[in-house]
Amino acid sequence: MNPDGGPGGGLRQPSKRRLPAASSSMADPHQLFDDTSSSALASGYAAPQSPPVGYPAQGSFLAEPMSSFAMAYGSTLASHSKEIVDKNIDRFIPMTKLKYYFAVDTVYVGKKLGLLLFPFMHQDWQVRYQQDTPVAPRFDINAPDLYIPVMAFITYILVAGLALGTQNRFSPDILGLQASSALAWLIVEVLAILLSLYLVTVNTDLTTIDLVAFSGYKYVGMIVGIVSGLLFGKTGYHLLLSWCCLSIFVFMIRTLRLKILSEAAAEGVLVRGAKNQLRMYLTMAIAALQPLFMYWLTFHLVRMACELFLLSSLWFLFVIFWMETISLWLFLCNFYQDRAFYHWGERVFVSDPGHMLYVFVSAGPGQL
Amino acid sequence: MAFTLYALLQAALLVVNAIAVLHEERFLRNVGWGTDQGIGGFGEEPGIKAQLMNLIRSVRTVMRVPLIAVNSITIVLLLLFG
Repeated sequence: MNPDGGPGGGLRQPSKRRLPAASSSMADPHQLFDDTSSSALASGYAAPQSPPVGYPAQGSFLAEPMSSFAMAYGSTLASHSKEIVDKNIDRFIPMTKLKYYFAVDTVYVGKKLGLLLFPFMHQDWQVRYQQDTPVAPRFDINAPDLYIPVMAFITYILVAGLALGTQNRFSPDILGLQASSALAWLIVEVLAILLSLYLVTVNTDLTTIDLVAFSGYKYVGMIVGIVSGLLFGKTGYHLLLSWCCLSIFVFMIRTLRLKILSEAAAEGVLVRGAKNQLRMYLTMAIAALQPLFMYWLTFHLVRMACELFLLSSLWFLFVIFWMETISLWLFLCNFYQDRAFYHWGERVFVSDPGHMLYVFVSAGPGQL
Repeated sequence: MAFTLYALLQAALLVVNAIAVLHEERFLRNVGWGTDQGIGGFGEEPGIKAQLMNLIRSVRTVMRVPLIAVNSITIVLLLLFG
């Protein structure tokens, strides 16, 4: 539409093409996804630009200089106001920051969900940095993202509606009530954490969005609890919810420990002082808050007596056996850590393709 | 019944009111939370008490004028519809 837009887009396109796609996405830490806008420029913008060429043939009305001038004026006005809106949106909502939190891919989401449900074997919890900016979540499993919390929040509301529907307690406004209540508790939690971080004067790089992400991860465990409550009754609900509570507790402690405690204490060196004591208690309190919220937001949804009692008892046996196996396995892993299982763990860590890619790019000629 | 966003807004308004109503001369000084009390030395990290005092003073300063407007709007709305 804009007369200047056509040649500009055409000129910009070859310069983007010159870079290989892989290196341009990995070497630049600010670029969260491959830039597909150049191809969109090539295909999408070409179509709207052809009509002005054909306009004079269509009728005398559009051929008049006055109308073409008005069209150009209108389009510049529109693009100008769009710029202003973009600038103001960026001032109130940090869009570029939010984009970082949604730069995920399927492998990351799968790994992160696995980490949330079973965080005991994970060794390296440090968020990686590249030139003072944290690496996007799809390259680093430890980075906080907002995709999983948002999806889990929506899913939690839907599953809550389903659970209430099975008890004939559903009405459409209950969905809104659930969403409002869960959101209010989330805000209260984040505000409480912010206030306590302020009171303890923690020097940390935790932003408010980070806190929202970390406190949003507990919805995954809540969904697992409710679904198991739907399928297997109260026993399944209590068993799986307590498992998820435990894993979220471990996950939060191991993640926040690196962020809240000072550097030396995070590496395991004992630092004396009331300040560090306080920070440690704060970390524990934030992590211990998660199971409380998880129980508080789900217990009223699983109220029904178990209809599938036989299935439930079978499932009970299965879960007990499973947890026994896992705990035995964990014990053995810890016990033989320096001997038998060590190489296995090391190999898994190194064979992580994203990690290797990261190492290559950060150390190799990708910096050019 | 449930703790909704509306209840959260109400609670936040009440809490901010409660902080803003604390009087510097009559209350805070008697408790030992006055402006000139308990300020740490230079270079020393402020403790919890200092941070809390700072927060109270900031809320009292910043929220005084907006609270008048918000409170009057709330009073009118609650009188009409509540």
